[in-house]
Amino acid sequence: MHKNNNFIERSIMGALSFLKDSIFAEEYAAGGGFLQSLDPRIKSITFLLFIIQVLFSRSIPALLFLYGLSLILALSSGINLGFFLKRTWVFIPLFALFIAIPALFSKFTPGEPLSVWNILGFKLIITRQGVGSALTFIIRVAASVSFAVLLTITTRHIELLKTLHIFKIPQVFVMTLGICYRYIYLFVGMIEDTYQAIKSRVGTSVHYKSGQNIVAWNIAFLWSRSLKLNEEVYRSMLSRGYTGEARVLHEFKAGLKDWLWLFAVAALSLVILWMA
Amino acid sequence: MHIPDGYLGPGTCGFFYLVMLPIWTAASRIVKKTLKSRQVPMLAIGAAFSFVIMMFNVPIPGGSTGHATGGVLVAILLGPWAACIAVTVALVIQALLFGDGGITAIGANCFNMAFVLPFVGYYIYKMISYNAAVNSKRRVIASGVAACIALNIAALFTGIEFGLQPLLYHTAGGQALYSPYGLNVAVPAMALEHLFLFGWVEALVTALVVKYLQKHSPELLEESEVSR
Repeated sequence: MHKNNNFIERSIMGALSFLKDSIFAEEYAAGGGFLQSLDPRIKSITFLLFIIQVLFSRSIPALLFLYGLSLILALSSGINLGFFLKRTWVFIPLFALFIAIPALFSKFTPGEPLSVWNILGFKLIITRQGVGSALTFIIRVAASVSFAVLLTITTRHIELLKTLHIFKIPQVFVMTLGICYRYIYLFVGMIEDTYQAIKSRVGTSVHYKSGQNIVAWNIAFLWSRSLKLNEEVYRSMLSRGYTGEARVLHEFKAGLKDWLWLFAVAALSLVILWMA
Repeated sequence: MHIPDGYLGPGTCGFFYLVMLPIWTAASRIVKKTLKSRQVPMLAIGAAFSFVIMMFNVPIPGGSTGHATGGVLVAILLGPWAACIAVTVALVIQALLFGDGGITAIGANCFNMAFVLPFVGYYIYKMISYNAAVNSKRRVIASGVAACIALNIAALFTGIEFGLQPLLYHTAGGQALYSPYGLNVAVPAMALEHLFLFGWVEALVTALVVKYLQKHSPELLEESEVSR
């Protein structure tokens, strides 16, 4: 009971699925669909507007409309609907669905009874307000996640980070984000290699206390390697002309299509916010 | 503890962006002042480190696994202000690129995990380990206690943020518009799971990592701190 090595499997699977998802996302981002053809800066602004619309919408039809729009945009960008639904519903909206269930009942959301159930002598009352709360919550979460994922998988990650300068985020933050993003992949690779090595040495099972020590040792060792890496990264920055000032290169160009798209989304935002 | 989009209302999201703005500004000023030029990449590497800590699955009795957030560990290693920036960078990347935590909730998530968690943890650690030698057992205990308490306080804040939503945003008929549970449900739900499970995992991982660093690289517990 106290012996297992599923923490090794889970860590390897976690690292592999992270890398696999990123490769899939980069493939979609390099595709030739509608969203991929937009200027990343304009696209980021319009998707922020979509997410704000979802945040401010108070009615279920408005939220459903926005969710439907996200699906249409996904299809028009050459994204496989099955992949998109799986990517967006697992895990956040499914978890929202799970935690919204108790909110249906009068115990948590008192109000006008809609349906009464008698289970093992317990009277469960589903209220109109409870159904409304749960539906609003789930659709809002699903629509927000859909727009966020759509932006992520139709834009190259490095470009998405570069667009942050239009929101007046200091260049040093944008540079830090860029370096961090690259090192996440390096570290994930290190974790995968380390756990593969552990797996090949521990056999079929390991006591959970030994497992905890293995994990702690690996985290400590990763930190030690990170510090050594810092020195190397700094030297390579110096060799590339770093003088203490952060500069981020960007070669974005917005065309007529981008401006028309921005105008259309801004107009829709005004209508939705006015309705809300 | 990552709050997704749709759980918090617009006012709450805006409020936490406003709260975090002076904290981020102060953190950048303090770190810029104390950071040696060769430590510039340290923030990015620290952020990547805090991002991947969550990928280390820790075995727990009964055959299951959990993971630590590493917020207090990063604060002990880098100092609280640098940890604030490093965890913020990790949270922004998680929200923008990997859909973990909402874009509109970045302010609230940073308040809980890049401000409350590292600052509370760091100062509890400093208080308990006051005047203790680098290789003393008190430091190990201090790191574990600090990690457990700080995570629970951060979880409490998250529970309060969720629990306030039905009070702040509802229709005239009483229908909740965002997170549907009040303080009486949201606070115990968040507090209990962290008190009985996640807090202990966090304490265990933080304490064991500090213990290993004491043994193999004690200099890292002192030298790597870039801002106090």
